[in-house]
Amino acid sequence: MLSIFKSIPTHMDYKGQKLAEQIFQGIILVSAIGFIYGLIVEQFGWTVYIVLAGFAVSCVLTLPPWPMYRKNPLNWQPTVPETSGEPSQKPQENIKKKKHK
Amino acid sequence: MNTVLSRANSLFAFSLSVMAALTFGCFITTAFKDRRVPVDIHVSKVMLKNVDDFTGPRERSDLGFITFDLSADILLTNICYLFTFLNNTILRLFFLIPGLLNQSQLIYFQINVVLWDKIVLRGENTKLNLRDMKSKYFFFDDGNGLRANKNITLSLSWNVVPNAGILPLVVGHGHVSLPFPEKYETAKSY
Repeated sequence: MLSIFKSIPTHMDYKGQKLAEQIFQGIILVSAIGFIYGLIVEQFGWTVYIVLAGFAVSCVLTLPPWPMYRKNPLNWQPTVPETSGEPSQKPQENIKKKKHK
Repeated sequence: MNTVLSRANSLFAFSLSVMAALTFGCFITTAFKDRRVPVDIHVSKVMLKNVDDFTGPRERSDLGFITFDLSADILLTNICYLFTFLNNTILRLFFLIPGLLNQSQLIYFQINVVLWDKIVLRGENTKLNLRDMKSKYFFFDDGNGLRANKNITLSLSWNVVPNAGILPLVVGHGHVSLPFPEKYETAKSY
């Protein structure tokens, strides 16, 4: 069961995060045009409803980590094979000595 | 922005900021309106009684009865209401009677008394056309200042409860001043 849950990707990459922020800011700012409608019908309640609708739409679009926010994964460096182990072992030994002292 | 919670946080904050800005816009569009309208008040009957004051061990006090006609069109247009589901769209009407009671040569008391009120909700008829209305509340004076008082003024004023901003007290154009009678009605029971 746990492996199934861990296989579900829940993250956004960096460009996806930027895209999500731009999307919800754009949607809410567009829904703020509902102020003009509220001014025309002279009921501010409609403005509130329109902004709340924009809020709901942007919640659906940006809160779950949809696959569209994972299209630019980070290119990690390939794993360095541990053949030359001496330079990497020396600092570890130093740390261990410090810990013992 | 990495986790759902952080995204929800920024989304809530941004929506709230936009909503606050729009509410301020609502305040701006409604705060500087002149809502005064002409009011026509006609007093058809004034009656004055001298009765026992039930609020304390006093002597007899003056009690006035006023029958009036009222017509006014309280304009509700161009008023942006917020949150109509909070049912705060109330327009209250009441009469103010500044009664100048000349207690001595130097001291004047100006007293405002609410005689009548009404709540007009949004969507209701704002054209008031009332005939032979009796005052809703007792018009008592602690003493005998109403008898032969020459300067009793009736006016109509109202609050408009806004969605955002200050609560204006609008005083309508037009008031009526009337003298009170110099004799008491002699009815024993009322």
